[in-house]
Amino acid sequence: MLRFTAGRVGSLLTRRATAALTTSSARMASHGPGTETSPVDVSQPMYIDRADIPLPDRPYKDVLTEVERSLKEKEKGPWGQLSKEEKIALYRITFCQTYPEMNQKSEEWKTVLGGIFIFLGFSGLLVWWQKVYVCPPRPRTFDEDWQAQQLQRMLDMRVGPVHGLSSHWDYEKGQWK
Amino acid sequence: MAQYTQLGLQDAASPLMEELLHFHDHALMIITLISAFVLYIILTMVTAKTTDKYILDSQEVEIIWTVLPAIILVLIALPSLRILYLLDEINDPHLTIKAMGHQWYWSYEYTDYEDLGFDSYMVPTQDLTPGQFRLLEADHRMVIPVESPIRVLVSAEDVLHSWAVPSLGVKMDAVPGRLNQVAFVASRPGVFFGQCSEICGANHSFMPIVVEAVPLEHFENWSSLMLEDA
Repeated sequence: MLRFTAGRVGSLLTRRATAALTTSSARMASHGPGTETSPVDVSQPMYIDRADIPLPDRPYKDVLTEVERSLKEKEKGPWGQLSKEEKIALYRITFCQTYPEMNQKSEEWKTVLGGIFIFLGFSGLLVWWQKVYVCPPRPRTFDEDWQAQQLQRMLDMRVGPVHGLSSHWDYEKGQWK
Repeated sequence: MAQYTQLGLQDAASPLMEELLHFHDHALMIITLISAFVLYIILTMVTAKTTDKYILDSQEVEIIWTVLPAIILVLIALPSLRILYLLDEINDPHLTIKAMGHQWYWSYEYTDYEDLGFDSYMVPTQDLTPGQFRLLEADHRMVIPVESPIRVLVSAEDVLHSWAVPSLGVKMDAVPGRLNQVAFVASRPGVFFGQCSEICGANHSFMPIVVEAVPLEHFENWSSLMLEDA
């Protein structure tokens, strides 16, 4: 069935290729001669608060109130005559946030960490339920005395004599090194 | 044998395993250094206060981070290939044993001189004597003379199994209808444990391999006893 489809696709592609290469009508003008255009930047100027774009493409407010327009006129004169509040108002016309406002930390991490702990806790409950209702009883080889006898046997058998268990046991003194 | 929280390889009991251990340490050191370096670079980049938005290319660093990894790879490949060829060295075994995998036990045949064969089943947990190792003990161990080259021919009677003893550096698949050869020398006496390493059904986890390396006289005594019992 794949061969059948491939044949169909193949013939479709050949037809399209021939059409594209030979016709010059408006319909088939994908890559033929006479279709080259010089690259034009059609993006819109955008305002964005970003630490690595200090001067965005356009000011923040484009529609100004009466007060703001008169302030803009006053800005054309000497800046020493502007008061502190006027300077701040002019800043807020051109920019939305200041750098400290842009870079300020949020409390989101508390939500994230809280969510993580909630899910961890829920998983813990599931594991506990599993331990109580699903898992078989612990084998007797985990009992204290069995483990002690097992350890003694491992030392007697010289298990791990190079860097492992037995290398940490002092056989002459009968104690750990 | 491995201990409960063991992460690394077991102590070597054969020269080949020693080589593998050293190579593992070498490769692990290299990748630890590379990982630490990459982590440092990531942290530096993430905590940097400034960004350069106009980086296009940098021929110098591109050359460095192409040539240096190539050199590191060669430094890993050379010891790796050396060990690979060491594993295939021609040896002159003193003893040949056949290890046959069944569902779910191993059987060993020592047919060089006499006809000695026996099965090796796992000791069930309820039958263990205090101090024995759960899921690792077998009723009959494969006894070999220490410091003698041994050849093991591994095969299977039903499905795929794999005969593995980590401390001897041995793992060989048991394929029905096929004889796979593996050779080793036990350089120290002791008991070495392994487990079936190819999924073979319900009790795949319950068919361990136990190899006991003993001095030659003890091996001879053991084989005479086993022949009498048979």
